[in-house]
Order: sequence, then structure tokens, then C-alpha cells
Amino acid sequence: MSNAAAQAYLNTRVSVMSTRLFAPELIERLPRMTLAELAEHFGLSAILDEQPSAATRGRAIEQSLLQVLMSELQVLARPMNASERSLVLAWGRKYALFNLKTLLRGKLYDLDQQEIRDHLFDLPDTIRLSHQELFRAENALELLRQLETGPYRQIARQAREVYEKHREPFALEGAIDQRYYTGIVRQIMGSDNHHLDSLRRLMGAELDRVALLWLLRFRFTYQLSASETYYQLVPSTRLLTRERLLHLVNLDTFERILEALPAPLDSLLADSKSIGEVQQRIGRYTQLETRGILSRSQSAVARALAYLMLRESDLLMLFAVVRGRLLQFPDATIKAALELTQPSCAESRAA
Amino acid sequence: MLMPMPMKHVRLLVLTEDLPQASMALAATESFHPDTRPPTESRLDALPGREYRETFSQAQSRLAKITRLIPLEATPDIGAVRVVDFDELSALNVWLGDLWDETSSYEEDFHRLDDTERLVREQQAALENFTHLNIDLDMLRNKTRFLEFHVGLVPRENLRQLEGAASLAGHILYVYMQQGDHAHVVIVGPAGDKESALAPVLAAASFQTLPIPLELDRKPAELQQDFANQRLAIAEQRQSLQDTLNRWGEPFRAKLLAARHTLMLAEPLVTLDASLRSAGHLAHLAGWVPARAVAHLEQGLRETLTLPFDLTSRDPRPDERKLVPTVPIKSRLLAPFALLVNQYGIPAYGEVDPTPLFAVTFLLMFGMMFGDLGHGAVIALAALWARNKLPKFYLFGVFAGISSMIFGLLFGSVFGYEEILPALWMSPLHDPILMLEVALGWGIGFIVIACLLGIYNRLAIGDPLGAVFERHGLVNLLFYLAFLWGGFGLATTGSFGTLPALLVIGSLLTLAAFQWHHLSAPTGEKALVVAIETLDTVIVYLSNTLSFLRVSAFSLNHVALSLAIFTLAGMMGSFGHVVTVILGNVFILVLEGGIVMIQVMRLQYYEGFSRYFSGDGHAFLPLRLRRESVSS
Repeated sequence: MSNAAAQAYLNTRVSVMSTRLFAPELIERLPRMTLAELAEHFGLSAILDEQPSAATRGRAIEQSLLQVLMSELQVLARPMNASERSLVLAWGRKYALFNLKTLLRGKLYDLDQQEIRDHLFDLPDTIRLSHQELFRAENALELLRQLETGPYRQIARQAREVYEKHREPFALEGAIDQRYYTGIVRQIMGSDNHHLDSLRRLMGAELDRVALLWLLRFRFTYQLSASETYYQLVPSTRLLTRERLLHLVNLDTFERILEALPAPLDSLLADSKSIGEVQQRIGRYTQLETRGILSRSQSAVARALAYLMLRESDLLMLFAVVRGRLLQFPDATIKAALELTQPSCAESRAA
Repeated sequence: MLMPMPMKHVRLLVLTEDLPQASMALAATESFHPDTRPPTESRLDALPGREYRETFSQAQSRLAKITRLIPLEATPDIGAVRVVDFDELSALNVWLGDLWDETSSYEEDFHRLDDTERLVREQQAALENFTHLNIDLDMLRNKTRFLEFHVGLVPRENLRQLEGAASLAGHILYVYMQQGDHAHVVIVGPAGDKESALAPVLAAASFQTLPIPLELDRKPAELQQDFANQRLAIAEQRQSLQDTLNRWGEPFRAKLLAARHTLMLAEPLVTLDASLRSAGHLAHLAGWVPARAVAHLEQGLRETLTLPFDLTSRDPRPDERKLVPTVPIKSRLLAPFALLVNQYGIPAYGEVDPTPLFAVTFLLMFGMMFGDLGHGAVIALAALWARNKLPKFYLFGVFAGISSMIFGLLFGSVFGYEEILPALWMSPLHDPILMLEVALGWGIGFIVIACLLGIYNRLAIGDPLGAVFERHGLVNLLFYLAFLWGGFGLATTGSFGTLPALLVIGSLLTLAAFQWHHLSAPTGEKALVVAIETLDTVIVYLSNTLSFLRVSAFSLNHVALSLAIFTLAGMMGSFGHVVTVILGNVFILVLEGGIVMIQVMRLQYYEGFSRYFSGDGHAFLPLRLRRESVSS
């Protein structure tokens, strides 16, 4: 298939699949839907299964929603050329990294094997981490040795310190997320000129969001020093660049950081009272940017990635509602959770 | 030999506790191909083999890890067959787990030694680098009143971020060397409170301190000697650790070999896991068995199982045809040709196995296109020479060489020389038209046989309508024969003939009508598709027939190439002549031989297989005892 034909095919595919994105009315109705309605509307019959516990049912639903996302990712990746496919798969590999984090945490704290296994996502071969030996490791030391010989050998030293000094693996998981985003940025910078601008815009908006939230959390929630906070951040390709971040982390109050943000983030986030509010506002902004790419971009690959990000956001919302219903939370709590559910939040599971 | 081996679907009901015995009995017959479909009875929904399989996988993984450190030379002979029950497998798994825990500590020790050696190497490289600098290295080791120094390694990918973080902590980072995926850096900053800010950053950046040795005022040669001694000491420690491990592991070798043997015996039940279902004490398994082996299988079960069982067998249903495995032809002579057929696909159950026909037609075409006694002999001898490297394929080369030699005798050609041997038939270049006619006749025969086989295959799978009206079916064959008849008339008498024309038009209209009837699309689209398909039928059969002209074209090409080489050689002196003839023959052998091989494969796949061979079957893989362990 020629490049033009592949682009046309992919564009058509994305346009057809975009009809699956949740309409605003459905998002509005979502927190009020009962389990039976959710099961009927989204074909999630496992919700109504009375036998297993709510946690087991929740995991089954999470897995089935993930499978929906992964199968759509594979459908979109199929007509792409090798480098485009590699970028889209790299984006989807965050779920393999969730598995890696679960595994590291589980092994370092000597959790039950079955419990670790229950919390691992079942992923397609193209997304799964290649070093399966990690999964077969029977104790922490063996796992660390495996880690040191695989593609994650750079974080192995940190992992060893976490294990030997019984530290909280927060920094370790931060390093994994950091590698994830820098890997994607590297791939985008090496992509074809035709896609470069759109991909930079798309991933730049996402990285701006991630960098700002991490900055605020590390500085003011975890009280890390400016240098330690800066080290954990991933500079964006758009607004929050390396130089801007160096300036921002040195500011000592929440308000000063918001004031010092570049346009349009400064006006968008002005007068925010908490990190939660910032998360909501910048999340909405990122969604708008992503939708803009989906509807207007010339790059089929950027559109495909934008679709996947929005679809992931929808599925995360749906999962939040299902889990809320399974745990019998009141409607107001579920609605509040929905407002906080954000797309592509690699830290959402780790935190 | 062309016909597929008839198969039966068998269903076995045994008591769950008898499953290991049943698996051994089934494996011993080597005639049971498991069917993984769940049984129709919904109550048979438990998975009795799952725990066994998981225990087996863990035990096998443990054994593989242990034998990485305690290698086992011998592979156990499968020897006496016995049943490995779940308790025995669990006990073995626990023992292997305990042993791995101990063995793992040796691996950790080796790992530490590797780390230490790497650090010494980096230290050595760093100091070599420092010798070019005019600085007091003692300064780098000591913390001064106002400054502190961090000398060490950092992964290159963390460098840029660390540089920014260090500057925020009031430090300067200087890279003095880059080696592999690490950078050697010196970080200098004010001593005091800021140290606490930098420490977690260094940890997060995987910074590894590089100790600066004491007594740096000594001669560089002495320092290098120190490093060499350190590395020697590490090598001795490694050897000593290896000796300790060998001594420690020695008593376990026999037991590890026995463990490998036990796992080999446990494997059949693990393989069956996907097709096992149970309800309470009743276990169900199903599979495909060659019809002639069913009685033998039943007898095997009767001799092995002490508790009652029920074995029923039936013919495969039409809807199961795609699930039935195909037993491959067992013939040493045909094995290399089967490999090439399998590149296209495996015959579906009921289909004619094309391997024997493929072998004969392949050799005839190859011989005719590359007929030369000398070249054929070289190919056959080269294949014989490579028989140890290509034990499954060398016969292919031998046969191709012999075929080439036979046609070489017919054409009277030895290494391109046509004057040495009298041709038993004639040289291709003496009557090219006859050669083209022979190739055309061969092609027509080939296509007609392919169509007949396609018709037979459709009848065999119970599709008589398809056999008559589908593409390459009976009506299509009728069109082809009428088309040839008309074409022959046109060439000999100048007239296509009324009857052939009526037959051609009639058969084409019949094909079009059948296609129209089976298409579900708007009328315009249907008309377009049917018109194009009908035109395609005419073009495809005409071009496919002409495609076989290449058989004679390559035989002519072979002679022409040889002539070209001799002409070139004739222009040289005596030494140049010999060299040109030798190199030319090598050129013909490699290039023309390769091209002819590809052309014959193309004729087989496109003109032959596409007419009669679906290739969408799957191979019969019976349950059997592995003769060699996976981990060996």
C-alpha cells in the first residue's frame, strides 16, 4: 500500500472509529446509570455476575475495557509503517509499565504470587514487555538480576537501593514514567516531517499537563526540593520546556508558579485554589487540544493517537462509574471522580 | 499416496484420578491429536489439568535456571515409562524451589563479582583519563571546607536532567569522559546544607560513586599494576566460587537428571491440559486419531487403565473438516518436497496431498530448463556433500541434479559443451519451435490435471455445485478445452470453428450466470464484477498456458548462455580461456540455477496450487513422549 493510500485508509478508519467516542449527553448520563443499564449499554455482562467479589468483578471489567482499547490500537497500528507503528505501540506500552511497576512492588515487598498475578494486565504480544524472565523471577534478588540484564537496567540500581534500604519505590516508579515519556518524545522527534508538527502539538499538550501536575505535586504535596523535583520532570515539546521548568521549580509558592506559567496556561489556570482544580482545568484543556488534533490534523498518525487518547479517557470514565457502582458509592462521589478522571495519566495507577 | 489418511474423532471419558495414566497411554500410541474444543455438556466445565500444568511450568522453569549454573551433560533416556502423579510433581517442584533458593545465592555472588570488576575497569579508565589533566587528584577525594566533589558514573540518558537538577542545587556538573552508555562526571558544589538536596537526585539518577584510590602520588605504572592485581584477584575469586559451586552441585546432578526425566514423563498430561474438562470425578478429553489406529489406542488404554473408561469414535462431521488434522506423507524421498509444499500450506483434510505430483512435475521442469550433465552432477554432488548440514533437504538437491543430468544426456550438453556427447534426443537450439511446442503441450497437460484435481477436491469435501460451477471447476475446464480446440483450429485451418465457439460462449455464460446468482451487490456493481471476472477467466487461462513457454525458453537460454561464455573464452589466451569457462560455468550454476528454481516454484504455486490446493489445513501433531528435554 502506498503512503498516500495508507494515510487515506488510516484517516477513514480513525473517522469511522471516532463515532465510538462518548457523546456529551452520554457522559452527562453516565454517573446516573445503574449497573444493569451500564451492562446493557456497554455489553459488560461480567458486572452482573453475582459470584465473585466486587474487587474481582472490577478487575474483570478493567481487563475487558483494556482489551477494547488494545484491540482498537492494534487495528489502527496495522496499516502504519514500522516507525509510525512503533510510536503508537510505545504509547500503549504504558500498560506494560503498569505491569512492571506492579511486579516490582510485589516482588520487592514479597507479596503473594497469586495476588501479583491477579493485578497484572493481560496484554497483546506487541505491547507486552519482551523480557518475560522478569515474570518468572521467584524472589526480589532474582528480579533485580533480570532487571539489570534487560532494557530497564538503568533503573536497576535504584531498584536495588529500594530493596536493600527498604525504601518506598516512589522514585523508582517515577523513573519508569520518566523513561516512558522521554521515549515517546524521542520517537516523535524522529518522525516524518508530515506528522511532526501534529504529533508535537498532541504530545506537547499531554506533556505540559503531566509536567505541571508532577511539578505541583512533588513540590507542594511531597515537599521535594527544587532540584529533586526538576530531576523527576519530563520537559515538554510545547510550553513547559526545559528552561521554563528550571525557572518554575525554583518558585516557592503554588500561586507564584501559576502566575509564572506561559500563555495560555496562565489565564486558564488563574485563581485555581488546589492541585485538584488545576488537574480539572488543564485536563479539559488537553482534551480540547486532543479533539482539535482528531478533527483538524493532516496527519493520520496523530489523529489515530489522538483518538486512542480520547478513547482511553472515555473508558477510564466508564470504569470509574462501574467501580463506583460496584462499591456502592453515592452518585455525587462518582460524579466527582469523573471530573478528576483524566486521559493518559501514567501516574494515576502508580500514585 | 495422494489420498488423505481417514481420521476418526474420539471421545474419552475417564475417572479424574486416572488422567495421568490415560495421558501416558495416549502418548505411547503416538496417534492422538488433542481437540481443544470444550465438550457440548455444560456440566463438564472444570479444568482438572490446570494446576498440574502450572506446577509443571514452574518446576521446568526452576530446573532450567538451576541447570544454567549446574550444567547437566547427559540427556536422560526416556527409558521405562511410568506415571507422574500430581503429588510427585508437586514434591519435585518444592525440591527444585528449595534448591533454586540456594543456587540463586551463587548467582548473586557471581553478579557481585561482575559489578566489582566493572567498577575497577571504570576506575582504571577514569584514572587513565586523569593522567592527561594537570590537577591534584587528592582534591577530588577530599571534601574541602567550602567545596564538595562527587566523582562517578551516570547513565548517559540521565545526564541532561541531572545537569539541570545539579545547577538548581548550586552545583556544577562536568563530563570528563563518555564510555558505553555511561558518562564519567565530576560534580562540584558548595559544601554544607545543599548536600542533602543533591543526594536524592544522585540516587534517582543512578549515580555511582567512583572511588579515587589512596596514595595517588605513586607512579602511574604502580597504580595500573594495582588495578591489574585487583582484577586478577576478582578472577581468582570467580574461579574459586565456580569450584565451590561445582563441588556443592555435584551431589545434586543425579537427582537433577532424574528431575528432568520426571518432567519429560509429566509433559503429555500438560500438553493435554487445553483439551481436558471435568465434572467431579469424571474427566473428558477428545481428539483426532487415524482410523486404523483407533483399535490400537483402545487396547493401549485397556492395558494401562485400572479404572473403567469409555471410548467412542465417529467420522468427522462436514462442519468439522477444517478442524481435522492432516497426517503428512511419511516418505524419506518425498520429505524435502513436502517442505516446499508446506511453504504454501498444509493440505486440508480431504484434499489431495500434492507432494508426489509436485515432486515429479518439479523435477521434470527443472531438468528440462536446466538440462546439463556436468551442471547436474555438480548440483547432485554438492547436495551430497551438504547432507550433514541439510539432512532433511539434501535429497532435493540430489534429485534435481539427477534430473538435470538426464536431460543433459537427452540434450547432449556437458558444462555447456555440445560436441562431447551425442544428444540422445536433440539440442534445444537445433529446433526451438519444437521445444516451444513441447512446453506448450506440457503446460496444457499441467493445467488440465490441476483443474481435475481441483474438481476432485471439491467433490471430496461434499461441494458438487462448486466442483461444476466454481472457478477452475468442470465448466471452467470445458471452457479451457473448447478454447484450446478453437485456438488449435485457428492455428491450423485459420478458423476457430462453430462448435468450439459455442462451447466457449456457453461455458462463459454459465460461469457468469453462476457468479451473478451468488453475488449480493447492487445490479450495476454485479454487472461490473461479472464482466471483469469473465474477462479475467479468458485472460488468466490464456496467459497461464503461455506462461509454460518459459520451460523451453530456459532450456534455450541455457544453451545461449553457454555459447556466450565460449565466445568470450575464445577471445582470450589459453589461460584466460580456461578461467573464463570455469567462471562462466559457476555463473550459470549459481545465477541460472537459482532463477530456474524460482521459475519452477512460481509455475507450481501460481499455475498449479492456486487451482486445486487450498493449503488451509493443519498438521497432525500427536501427543507423544519427548525424547529430549526442553531444558536440555
